[in-house]
Amino acid sequence: MMQSFFGLLRKIIQTGIGKTRLLMATLGLAIAMLLLLLAIQAHTDFDQLLHSQQNQNESADFLVINKKITNAMMGQPTKSEFSPEEIADIKKQPFTDAFGFITSNQFKVTAAAPGELHFYTDMFFESVPDAFIDVKNEDWKWNTGDNTIPIILPNDFLNLYNFGFALSQDLPQISQETVKALPMKITISKGLITQEFTGRIVGFSDRISSFLVPGNFMEWANQKFGNGEITAPSRVIIKTKDPSNPALVQYLNDKGYTTNQDKIKYSKTKMIVQTIVSVIGFFGVVLLLFALLVFSMFIQLVIASCKREIQLLVTLGTAPRQLRRYLMRQFIPLYIITGIAALLILAGLQWWASGILATHDMFVAPMLSVFTFGAAILVVLLVYAVNLLNVRKYVAEIS
Amino acid sequence: MARLRKKPGFLYITVMQIQLENLVPVPLKDKILQRSSDIWNREVTFTPGHFVKIKAPSGTGKTTLIHYLYHIRYDYTGKVLVDGKSWQSFNKEVIATMRQQQVSVIFQDLRIFEQLTAEENIELKRVMISPPYCTAEKVKEMAARLNVTHVLSQSGKTLSYGERQRIAIIRALVQPFKWLIMDEPFSHLDNENAQRAADLIGEECRARGAGFILTDLDNDSRFAYDTHYNL
Repeated sequence: MMQSFFGLLRKIIQTGIGKTRLLMATLGLAIAMLLLLLAIQAHTDFDQLLHSQQNQNESADFLVINKKITNAMMGQPTKSEFSPEEIADIKKQPFTDAFGFITSNQFKVTAAAPGELHFYTDMFFESVPDAFIDVKNEDWKWNTGDNTIPIILPNDFLNLYNFGFALSQDLPQISQETVKALPMKITISKGLITQEFTGRIVGFSDRISSFLVPGNFMEWANQKFGNGEITAPSRVIIKTKDPSNPALVQYLNDKGYTTNQDKIKYSKTKMIVQTIVSVIGFFGVVLLLFALLVFSMFIQLVIASCKREIQLLVTLGTAPRQLRRYLMRQFIPLYIITGIAALLILAGLQWWASGILATHDMFVAPMLSVFTFGAAILVVLLVYAVNLLNVRKYVAEIS
Repeated sequence: MARLRKKPGFLYITVMQIQLENLVPVPLKDKILQRSSDIWNREVTFTPGHFVKIKAPSGTGKTTLIHYLYHIRYDYTGKVLVDGKSWQSFNKEVIATMRQQQVSVIFQDLRIFEQLTAEENIELKRVMISPPYCTAEKVKEMAARLNVTHVLSQSGKTLSYGERQRIAIIRALVQPFKWLIMDEPFSHLDNENAQRAADLIGEECRARGAGFILTDLDNDSRFAYDTHYNL
């Protein structure tokens, strides 16, 4: 009859005494783990719903920000300008991935359609850094001396014309291609100095509602035809990963800035979901702490109830290290089984939820995220470390 | 000189010289200082490999001395030195390894686990180190020599004192050691069984090149003692 040392220890150190306690601790750990991992997984899923390539076309978004024009500000254009401090503040916000000014013209601009169209209008130009423009076109460049200026129109402008103005005025609707083919006569002037250019529409932007010209043209023209003063910008553009970020929306509200409201409409939903997920996560953490406490009480109970036996074992030469290893061996399978069970349940839930969402054309991964697995491993390691500390402490106390 | 390896489970290459320096138990202090003793409050060196007999009348601190030597009681003044270092300077893990490989013990109160069988009590000690020092067959052989084969599968609870004592002796002999510390190891045995046990202990000590320290109430001639002390 050969028995291992741990097999004999099992007969001496009875762990059966606190079985209900151990069961409670394990159950608590399981529920805690489930809640925690659920919170993490739900967070990942929601992020994916809002930002993944399948659910949205762009992974980053651009917001044009300006100050809200109030009645009190009317007639005082400087009040809508951004001061250098305000600009620096926007730049340093964590949600700002890139920042650019929208530069306005400081000269008079008129545009006339060629030939028979008899179209003449005063207009304006703005420019933004090229990185913020969603129109990629070879013609989008201007060199000093060029007589042709490339122009980008807002898509909305053409739509307004085609579906609002043209229909009601019995004018022909114009396609994008036609507009691009039309050379416009652009006249820039300041006082008596004038210069004529040919304007060519090179694209239509969904992102920026303005008449855009290349930055270097704007710089040159402002220098030549402007008043020489560098005016502060009253519109800025930022690039952000998540326009529904509640922090961003809060910031805009606090400062009295405004932007395209449509882009930030998810913010409220996101805040609610984040709150719910945080509450679930919080309960998970609290429950985990309780589970750890019960584990610790169980360890204390087992060791106290076998105090004499453990002392005799130590007297006979059993190393504290061997005792610790024996005791921990009683727990480790529990953690691992609990962790795997929690992950399996969650994986089932995730797969099921993914199927349901797919029927509504919403995509979330059918598999658990890496973070969830990572968190499960972290929780197991944490419980292991805390229990090992307890075992170490109580064994050292009596050996 | 003595060398301790940090890695537990490894055989220490030590001489295991035990020395006492002015050792006096605190509870017996007054009593002991009134009379003369070969051990208490003296410089004593136990030479490795020697068979040492300490004759100790009742009440002179015989069991106390055994517990000091095995380092499970610490209420003394003076020092117990192992290879020149006091017991207190070893940590618990090292002491455990020494108890597994350097020093073995037979307590007067035997200290058998009652929830284990006689055989499991021996096995516990045998497989505490890996690989075990002696084989399971060797255990059977020793049990046969001490006439306890028939009780091996009995629960520790049902063993008589004589049987417990012999199981405790076998348990002490399944491990490697340089010193065997014994406290009245034959107190519950008749003369014949006591001599069988003594012969086995003597053989096992010689096989290991080990010494022993035996305390008893009276004189005896069961071993060829190298040194005698009066407590």
